[in-house]
Amino acid sequence: MSTIAPQFRLSRFIGSLFDIIFWVLLLFSLIGLPVVFIILFYIKMPIINHQLLTPYLALTWMADPSRTLPIIKTLLHTTFFHVIAFPGFGFAALLAAATIFVERKFLAKIQLRVGPLYCGKIEGILQLMGDGLKLISKEIIIPAKADKPIFWVGPLLFLGTAAALVSLIPVAPGGWVVANPNVGLLAVFATIGFFPIITVLTAWAANNKWTFIGGLRALHQMIAFEIPLILSLLSIVILTGTLNLTQIVESQQHFWWIIFAPISAIVFFICIIAELERVPFDLPEAESEIVAGWLTEFSGMMYGLIQLGTYLKLYAFAGLFTVLFLGGWNGPSVWPQFPADIVTQGITIGPITAKIAGLPLFDQEMLNGTLWFVIKTVGVILMILLPRGVFPRIRIDMLLHTGWYKLIGLAFINIFIALGLLYAGVLGPGGLIQ
Amino acid sequence: MVDAVFLALSVLTIGSAIVALEIRSLIYGSIALMITLSGIAGFFLLLDAPFVAMFQLSVYVGSVAVLILFTVMLVRRELIFNKIEDKRRRYAGIGLMLALMLGIGMIIIGSGMKSMETNSPSVDYKQIGQDFLTYYSPALIVMALVLAASVVGALTLARREDITNDQRVN
Repeated sequence: MSTIAPQFRLSRFIGSLFDIIFWVLLLFSLIGLPVVFIILFYIKMPIINHQLLTPYLALTWMADPSRTLPIIKTLLHTTFFHVIAFPGFGFAALLAAATIFVERKFLAKIQLRVGPLYCGKIEGILQLMGDGLKLISKEIIIPAKADKPIFWVGPLLFLGTAAALVSLIPVAPGGWVVANPNVGLLAVFATIGFFPIITVLTAWAANNKWTFIGGLRALHQMIAFEIPLILSLLSIVILTGTLNLTQIVESQQHFWWIIFAPISAIVFFICIIAELERVPFDLPEAESEIVAGWLTEFSGMMYGLIQLGTYLKLYAFAGLFTVLFLGGWNGPSVWPQFPADIVTQGITIGPITAKIAGLPLFDQEMLNGTLWFVIKTVGVILMILLPRGVFPRIRIDMLLHTGWYKLIGLAFINIFIALGLLYAGVLGPGGLIQ
Repeated sequence: MVDAVFLALSVLTIGSAIVALEIRSLIYGSIALMITLSGIAGFFLLLDAPFVAMFQLSVYVGSVAVLILFTVMLVRRELIFNKIEDKRRRYAGIGLMLALMLGIGMIIIGSGMKSMETNSPSVDYKQIGQDFLTYYSPALIVMALVLAASVVGALTLARREDITNDQRVN
């Protein structure tokens, strides 16, 4: 019984297909090609193999893998690729999405539950995709008395700020970082400062008492924990003598800074849990008290964007912990050497053997560094997720007391330890241990 | 490129400053103030001073603007503000501003700052730190004393005697 297309005729269907092909070809040749050439006139094309890359040359090279590889290698080192794919948004979003699923299974195992099980047959691995489709297909509801511009822009700003934080994290040796400013750590502090503003503005804009209470709690919490967070990182700055995150990683080739700054590491870890609004500091979205806190009025993909932003922020803070205290990409070389005959003998794919020059797209050092960075970051992420299965939520006055009194004092203790090590000539620039 | 960025930043900064003064809604006014302060951070970036730019962002946008926003949200504005609207005051203000800008501009253009070297490399922040600890150390000590005094003053003002200690802790 077909009720979808009762008037269906094959001849009409084929005719409409030809119609579409005709219009696409016509529009492409009349509008598309001129636009492409106008754009190409203004774009500076790269020089590859001592030849200026023109569109015709690129089309010719696509047929020959040995000529396509240099193009791909050039693409891998462009800012565009860095931002979109590897150390930037794509990589971080992949890790963040995996974190959402792993968190649910991990907590379930802690609490002797099974967690997501049915979606995708094997341990519910398609649950995440199902949730994403659900969020995309849901209607976006704007409250009638909301302040609409701020309410619309809020999730986008939150995601953008989280992505800006992600862009500062160096992932692998050899310049695999989106932005590498000389004052990287200060840029981190400046970026963190935007989160409370966005939170409290979106909370105010929704015009709901739950969101406003949640937003005010988030503001109190973030402001209170920002100061110990900054102070705890100062001991690392004193010991390394630089603010550049890549140089901080390179200074940890022989030992990690967590050995000399353990108190800082603990303070920083507690502060990032509070900044991320995770249990036991999840007062801004305490679901048993104030519905969902400052996220109450968000629905559909707006909620999805904030969720993605939250997990990007989680990845960024875990990466920051790895970079500052756990040695970043440094680790023993475990990545296997590339077999030399790949380049000389070629690869056999089915019946064809192809000889391709310059095949390993990434060098061994970079892959090894990425492996260690991901292992350490995932470890830190799991440590951040762990308290959610163990601890209850704490009261707001205890939270503020912890932030303003105890953590600031602890952070100062490690600053004095670092200063002592520096003036004793043990560590730091020109110290005994390099 | 730099000229275009400079023009865009100027339009953004001055435009949002005017919006911050003129708009009715206090929340939007404080957002416009934030954009102005971020624009000034952009100027510092253009001037090859990323250190100052980052501090501008984290101190002014991250802290001062949050304080303003917090105050605006928590205080009922009818209680503290009373509207005084006067056309003549506005024109006098605009005239005063123009006169000031003209005067300061004349002084700056006449002072030989226009022959400044623009292609010199940016100053390293480590150099700033060394200067602060050696040549300008009296200024640093005075600043530290002022800040410590203000922190102590804030603590004294915020201390409340009516809360007993067992209520305050745990």
